[in-house]
Amino acid sequence: MTTPYDKQPGERFTGHGAEWKDANLSRSDAVTATVWVEQIINKRSMLTNKERVEDVRDAMWQLEKEGEIVVHRVADEHKPVIAKTLYGWDKKIPTTRLWHHKSCGQCGNIPGYPASLLWLMNRMDIEYLDETDQTSCTAWNYHGSGIGNIESLAAVFLRNFHQAYVSAKAQGLPESYYYPLVHCGTSFGNYKEVRGYLIQSAKLRERVRKILGKLGRLVDGKLLIPEEVVHYSEWLHVMRKQVANLQEIDCSQVRATIHPACHVYKMVPEDVIYDQEVLDGNRVAVSTGLIQSLGAQVIDYSTWYDCCGFGFRHIISEREFTRSFAIDRKLRVAVEEARADVMIGHDTGCITTLDKNQWIGGAAGKPVQLPVLADAQFAALVCGAHPYKIVQSHWHASATETLMEKLGIDWQAKKAEFEAYLKDVAEGRGENLYDPRRMITSGPGYKRIGRQA
Amino acid sequence: MSHAHGTRVQEFIGDPVSDAPPVGREKLEEIFQDIQADLRFDHELNGCLNCGICTATCPSAHYYDYSPREIVQLLWTENLEGIYDAMQEKIWACAQCYTCAARCPFGNSPGGLVMLMREVAIKHGMESARNVLRPFSRVMLKLISTGNQLSPDMISKDGFPDWGPNISKVDAPLATLRKAIPVPTLHTTKTAWEVNLKTSVELYTIWEETGVLESLKTIDQNLFDVITDIMDEKRDEWDEFLEDQEDEDED
Repeated sequence: MTTPYDKQPGERFTGHGAEWKDANLSRSDAVTATVWVEQIINKRSMLTNKERVEDVRDAMWQLEKEGEIVVHRVADEHKPVIAKTLYGWDKKIPTTRLWHHKSCGQCGNIPGYPASLLWLMNRMDIEYLDETDQTSCTAWNYHGSGIGNIESLAAVFLRNFHQAYVSAKAQGLPESYYYPLVHCGTSFGNYKEVRGYLIQSAKLRERVRKILGKLGRLVDGKLLIPEEVVHYSEWLHVMRKQVANLQEIDCSQVRATIHPACHVYKMVPEDVIYDQEVLDGNRVAVSTGLIQSLGAQVIDYSTWYDCCGFGFRHIISEREFTRSFAIDRKLRVAVEEARADVMIGHDTGCITTLDKNQWIGGAAGKPVQLPVLADAQFAALVCGAHPYKIVQSHWHASATETLMEKLGIDWQAKKAEFEAYLKDVAEGRGENLYDPRRMITSGPGYKRIGRQA
Repeated sequence: MSHAHGTRVQEFIGDPVSDAPPVGREKLEEIFQDIQADLRFDHELNGCLNCGICTATCPSAHYYDYSPREIVQLLWTENLEGIYDAMQEKIWACAQCYTCAARCPFGNSPGGLVMLMREVAIKHGMESARNVLRPFSRVMLKLISTGNQLSPDMISKDGFPDWGPNISKVDAPLATLRKAIPVPTLHTTKTAWEVNLKTSVELYTIWEETGVLESLKTIDQNLFDVITDIMDEKRDEWDEFLEDQEDEDED
């Protein structure tokens, strides 16, 4: 029997070194050789073969019983729908009386993302509050720079969620009226992780309690912890059939690829929704379930699990990495392998990365054109939302026009309408999805008004 | 934490191929103990059999001399010099996607461990951290002074020429385009949404109480000075508002 060492006297390294030789397998033999890998990585079991998984909510209830914390409950008034998570645990998703915890990246760069979500909520008479008393989760900066720490992340989390808890008082309504709905995937992952550490560590609770006390952000002298940390995509998932009832445009000819966001389903994976109705429960259910409910064709592709290349710091200062990864590992695969008409995401950084990093591909001989939208934007679009006034597709660098043409939307006419509308806007006659007076709940500019406004 | 008393690796080796003077053992231990002292350390490092699943699935490993398996091994074996070396460059390659954590059979979080190492690199004012973070200063300025991390005026053709000509496909002043978003909180250009004054003031307290400002000072004195000026102004503004309120109440 010969070994690689025999073939290369003196050479002890194996792998992709100079001695590496292509096996020259036929395509079918190559598939046979690697199919076992795909059988594992494409299954939910890839994430469930761990020991020592606990549901932190058990410890959370115990802490409340011991008088250590107060839990902000998803109450009956929030009309919760139960979804199943990775291990089959229940997760309560509130469906109304929602406090919008915005995403800085969405609001700054993809404003049609939150606008579409609010538009859908208006169509379904969902009660909500969008206010100015909130910070970002600060986790983009943290993951990118390392400036920040577990205490600052925890204090920011608790401050924002406390504000959600008391926000209705500005409208003369009781505390706990609104329940926070987190827009950003990074915030969602970060908040879940931080909640876990807060529940597990008395030391962290003690340190942060002092800070929240200084801010006047304790409830009966205790930290306020949310029963569930809920991402907007989870709300869309449990509401997907109601969303489909609003549908005006047939999208059955659309081939959609889904990019599941890392911080949505890889961070604290045990808290992520898996649904037997969606790809047999083998993939994270959000977005895929919605797009299927709307009747589009969800097309699988081999790099579905890869990240987008955002990298937090990389998209700012290591852009060669970000665009190379986005183009080679995601966009080209979606176009060439899945022949996709659109890529749908559910997180800020992913939508930005995949949308913005296409044009530069031409410089490297890798031209790629694939419309990129958030699930909420796609849903709003096929439910008849204006592609520019509501979906705000003009902020997208990718060719959203090709998708609109496939949907039968006359985007040129709609764009002309929007350009004419800008004159009204410049003269102060812009349209809003809610009464602007509601957005300030304290401090300069605050005026107490009823919730009917 | 229960440990942070010395390490299993006792012999000082130094770097045989570098002309740089060896870093003292005491310093190396201090750095490692700072990493270990974080309450997340025990949660994110549980053991390692070198299976390499983390590296096989790591996006950064495709493009950089970076391996999450190596990071875990260095920490697991308490290789002080290796840890210090990795903190010079490698830890900044991680894209923070946490694919490694999701897949590790031991429940390790290499991405999470990298964050602890980044925090400690900043705490110790490592030159590598200063260099790597210099282009990130605008985001840090925006975040610490406003609580937003990104603002519409940061996205420009000059700032992102590689994103192509379509920053907006409708040609109109940024302020008008922002007012055309039907969400009133977003009618802003310098922050992603309008931020309540009280919110900013509360956030400054968090930065001060959690040592974030100290970290910033260590890594970028100029940025620290700019941010503390902004903080002072906003606090004055808030105090004035409260005084006005009191006057109104008295009237």
